[in-house]
Amino acid sequence: MITMMGISHQFKIGKKGKERIVPVLHDIDLSVEKGEIVAIVGRSGSGKSTLLNLMSGYIRPTAGEITVAGRMVTKLDEGAWADFRLAHYGFIFQNFQLISSMTAYENVELPLVLKGVGQSERRKRVEKMLENVDIAAFASHYPSELSGGQQQRVSVARSLVLEPPIVLADEPSGSLDSENEKSLLTMIKQLNHELGITFVIITHDDQVASVAHRTIRLQDGRLARQAPLVSVESIKETFDLAKGGHHS
Amino acid sequence: MKFGDQLRFVRQNMKRNKTRLFMTVLATAMGCAFLTVLASVGFGLQQSMVEEITGDRLVTEITIYGKNPDKFDTQGIQNGDIDYFQSLPNVKAVTYRNYIQQYMDPSIDGNPVNVNQRIGMDFEAEKQAGFGLSAGRLPEGNNEIVIGYHIREVMDEEGRPSSELPAASEWVGETMTLQVSYYEDGELAKKPLETVIVGVAEQPTKEWNRDRNIYMGEEMLTQIEAITGTQLGELPYFEVAPTKEQVQKLIEQLPKPTGERQYQDVTVVAENASKVKGIAEKIREQGYFNHSIADELKQVNMLFTIMKIGLIFVGTIAVLIASIGIFNTMTMAVTERAQDIGIMKAIGAHPSVIRRVFLLESSLIGLFGAIIGTLVSYAISFAVNAGLPIMIEVLMEETLPADFKFSVIPPYLAALTCVIALGVALISGQRPARRATRIDVLSALRREV
Repeated sequence: MITMMGISHQFKIGKKGKERIVPVLHDIDLSVEKGEIVAIVGRSGSGKSTLLNLMSGYIRPTAGEITVAGRMVTKLDEGAWADFRLAHYGFIFQNFQLISSMTAYENVELPLVLKGVGQSERRKRVEKMLENVDIAAFASHYPSELSGGQQQRVSVARSLVLEPPIVLADEPSGSLDSENEKSLLTMIKQLNHELGITFVIITHDDQVASVAHRTIRLQDGRLARQAPLVSVESIKETFDLAKGGHHS
Repeated sequence: MKFGDQLRFVRQNMKRNKTRLFMTVLATAMGCAFLTVLASVGFGLQQSMVEEITGDRLVTEITIYGKNPDKFDTQGIQNGDIDYFQSLPNVKAVTYRNYIQQYMDPSIDGNPVNVNQRIGMDFEAEKQAGFGLSAGRLPEGNNEIVIGYHIREVMDEEGRPSSELPAASEWVGETMTLQVSYYEDGELAKKPLETVIVGVAEQPTKEWNRDRNIYMGEEMLTQIEAITGTQLGELPYFEVAPTKEQVQKLIEQLPKPTGERQYQDVTVVAENASKVKGIAEKIREQGYFNHSIADELKQVNMLFTIMKIGLIFVGTIAVLIASIGIFNTMTMAVTERAQDIGIMKAIGAHPSVIRRVFLLESSLIGLFGAIIGTLVSYAISFAVNAGLPIMIEVLMEETLPADFKFSVIPPYLAALTCVIALGVALISGQRPARRATRIDVLSALRREV
C-alpha cells in the first residue's frame, strides 16, 4: 500500500546565510501492506513524525521515492497532494485538530464538503459515522464542550467518513487517559478488521504498538528493527478468535 | 467544494467578528456613496444643462437658416428647397412657419384677444413632426385654427403675466374673428374672417416661454393673401395718409401671392437622433446653412464626459482607500484562521478552494458595501435635489429652474460603482487569499502560526 525507497530527509536550521543542515532520516526502505496495522516507534527525535509527514505529503523527502496505492507521490505538487490526501488518507492527530468554530457534526462533515458530496448524502454518512464512534448524542457540541476522549472519537469519525484505504495516526492516544486509549485501540482494531483499513500509527506507547501487526523502530533516523513477528493473515485469525470470546 | 458550501463557510467566518465586518462594510459603503454622489453631480449638471440647451426643441430637428449665396441665386428657402429636403432619406417631416405680416385684431364675441404671432403652417408636416396639443385637435377644415397655451394670459400694469391663467381649452369650439386689413382704392379697409378654434397647443416645457400665437393652415393663409393681394398679408406702412397712387406703387413692390414663396423657420425633422448628423452634413454640402442641437450637445457632452471621468476617478480613490480596510480585515481573518486553514489543508483541502473561500469573503464585503453605498447615494441624491434649491433660494435669494437637478444617478452609474467596488474588493482580497493558501500545514498543526 505504501512503499518508501531510499528515503532521506534533512532540515535546514538557523538564520539565512548561517544555515545548518540537520539530517533526520537516512536511507529508509519500508513498505506497508494493505490491511496492515503498522506501528512506528522510537524515542523523541528519532524521526518517526518526519516519516509520517513524508507519507502525508506535508513535507518532501530530500532523497528517495514514495509510492502510495500504486502511485508515485514524491513529485506531486501541493494541489495534487491535497486531492490525493482527500482520496486516500484519513488522519488522526494527537491534539485531535478539530476546528473550534465547528460543531462535532460539522467537523466530521468537513472532508465530505471538501469532496463536494451532496447534502443529503453527507447527512446520512455523518450520522452513521457519529453512531459508529458512539458520539451521536454530542453532534451539535463544539470541541470545547467535549472531553478529550469524545474529541478523539470525533477526530476518528472525521478520518473515516470518506472511507479512506489508509489512516495515518500521529500519537493518537497521546492526549487520552487509559480508558479512552483502550477504547480507541479497540476501535482501530475493529475498523482494520471489518473494513480492511490500513493503519500507520506513530507512537511511543507500548500498548498502542501492541495492536499493530508489525512494529517499525526508528533510531537516530535509521530503521532499527522491522519486525513482522507473525504474518498479517495469522494476526487476523488470532483477532477473530479473540473476538469470539478469548482475550488477545 | 460546492459554491453553496463555500458561501456557508464564508457566512460562518463572517459571524466570528461582526464588529470588524460591520466597520469594513461601512467604510466600503462610504467609499461607494462618495463615488456615486460625486459622479451624480456630473450627470445631474449635464442633464440640466442639456435640457436648458434643447429647451422645447427636439434633438431630431435640423434648423435651416439660409442658403450659401455662392451656390444659390436666392437666399430664402423656397418650394424647390422644401421638396428637396422632403426627398432626402431618413427625413420624417419638413416644417416651416410663415408669419403673417398684419395683426388682424383677433376677437371672440367682440372682445379683443391679445395674441403674439399669427402663423401659417403645414399641419400635415407638423403632425408628423409631433406638434403637441394640450386640447382639441389639429385643423382639418379651411377656417380652423389652433391657439397657443397662454393665449388667455392677462398682463398686469407692469407687463408681467398674472398668476392666474384661465384654461385656453375652454375656447375650443369658439369662433375667433380676424379682421384682415387691405387697401381698396387707396383706402384702408377691413374684411372679417370667421375662424373656429379646434385645438390648443401644448404648454412649452420652459416656463419662461409664453405661447400666445395663432396657428393656421395653408388654406387660410391663401385666403388672407387673396384679400390683401400680397404675400403673407403684408401691407405698406405710411406715417401719414397716403394717396391712392402711393398705395398702388408700394403694393406693386411687395411680393405677390402668385410669386415664389419664401419659407421661414424651416426645420428638417430626422427619423431619429442618430440620423441627424448624416442629414445635416448632406444638406450642408448642398449649400444650405443649418444647425442642429446635436452640434451644440456634442461639445457640451464632451465637456461633461471629461468632467464625469474626473469625478469617477476621484471617487474611485475613496473606494481604493476603503480597500485598505478590506485588505486589513482579510489579513486579520487569515491570521486568526491560520490553524483552521492548516487543518483543512492537512485533511485534503485544495489550495484553490481555500483561495476561493477568502476571495468570496472579500467580494461579499465589497458587494454589501456597494449595495448599501448605492442605496445611501440615492437617498443623498434625492435629498440634495429637494433641499439645495430651497437653500439657494433662502440663502442666495436666487431661483433655480423648476426641473433643475444637481444630482442624477443613472442605473449604469450604480452598476459601475458596484463593479468598481467588487473589483477593488477582489484585488484587496488577492494577497490575503494567497497567503492563506501558503500557510504551512505543520506549523498550523503545531499552532505556530
